[in-house]
Amino acid sequence: MTGYKRVSGDAIEYEVFARKTRVEPLHQVGSVVAPDADLAMAYARATYDEERWCEMAIVRKDDVIHLWSPGEG
Amino acid sequence: MSLPDLVLSLADNKQMLGLRYAEWATRAPSLEADIAAAAMGLDDLGHSRVLYGCLEPLGADPRGPQRESDPASLSNLAYFDEPWTEWSQFVAANAILDTAFTAMIEACVGGSVEVLQHRLRKMLMEERYHFLHGRSWLRSGIDSGPLDRAWYEAIEWFGPPDGETATLHREGKLSMGPADLRARVEEQLEMKAPRVTIDWKTWDPVRRRSGAGAVDQHTFAMLRGLEEKKYAPPSAAKQAAS
Repeated sequence: MTGYKRVSGDAIEYEVFARKTRVEPLHQVGSVVAPDADLAMAYARATYDEERWCEMAIVRKDDVIHLWSPGEG
Repeated sequence: MSLPDLVLSLADNKQMLGLRYAEWATRAPSLEADIAAAAMGLDDLGHSRVLYGCLEPLGADPRGPQRESDPASLSNLAYFDEPWTEWSQFVAANAILDTAFTAMIEACVGGSVEVLQHRLRKMLMEERYHFLHGRSWLRSGIDSGPLDRAWYEAIEWFGPPDGETATLHREGKLSMGPADLRARVEEQLEMKAPRVTIDWKTWDPVRRRSGAGAVDQHTFAMLRGLEEKKYAPPSAAKQAAS
């Protein structure tokens, strides 16, 4: 997850996580920008549907708590 | 009107909804909305193919040769006759009409007809995201004109309270009748439909609409594959003619 934010106004950035099989961990596949979680779910599914994911989840980027960032560790 | 007529109407409307969605794939208010329009368009075009494929197993395919020449032979709602010029038309179709079609698919999946129970179930999973998209945009506020029109056409499409849809429900082929379908859409969208007065005497039970009219010529030609011939090189045209 980069520090770059592409949101303005009421839009919220959501990180999108997915995995193809149960044995692999969720990993970040991208992000979407939407005014609410419902629309973010619809956008995430539409944007990142090219793979046969067995799980997909979204997280508000603002809710991620950084312990440290690149260059700070 | 019969169950195959109803499934054909669902298929024709899904096809037109998919096409109209796709027309907005580069005109929506954000890149994400563009992609969603394209994805939902593909979904609905795929759903229409599955629905057309159900007609033969249902026993009587109501499609006749006039579908090649007469756009009025398609059973689509008037809402899809012309391309949408405003985003609010897209949102009203997405929120109200797409949800209305999904309610009918739920009624088919919950009914007693095996081919519909099995083949339409997967659509409900994909439609969940259409619903989230439509409801969220609807909540952001749109013009009342397209919204009222979409509600009117959805209620009209469900059919009269004592018509064939109600009969199919009584026979168990559909798990919901017209009033249940309307209530289902209201419940999903957490809003009441506007009060509408429909003159059922002028309602066409095959096309499931009252108004005359048909899909525009450009779209009809595209559906028949005629538009792509305009771009074929002259040699290909000669070969096709010989």
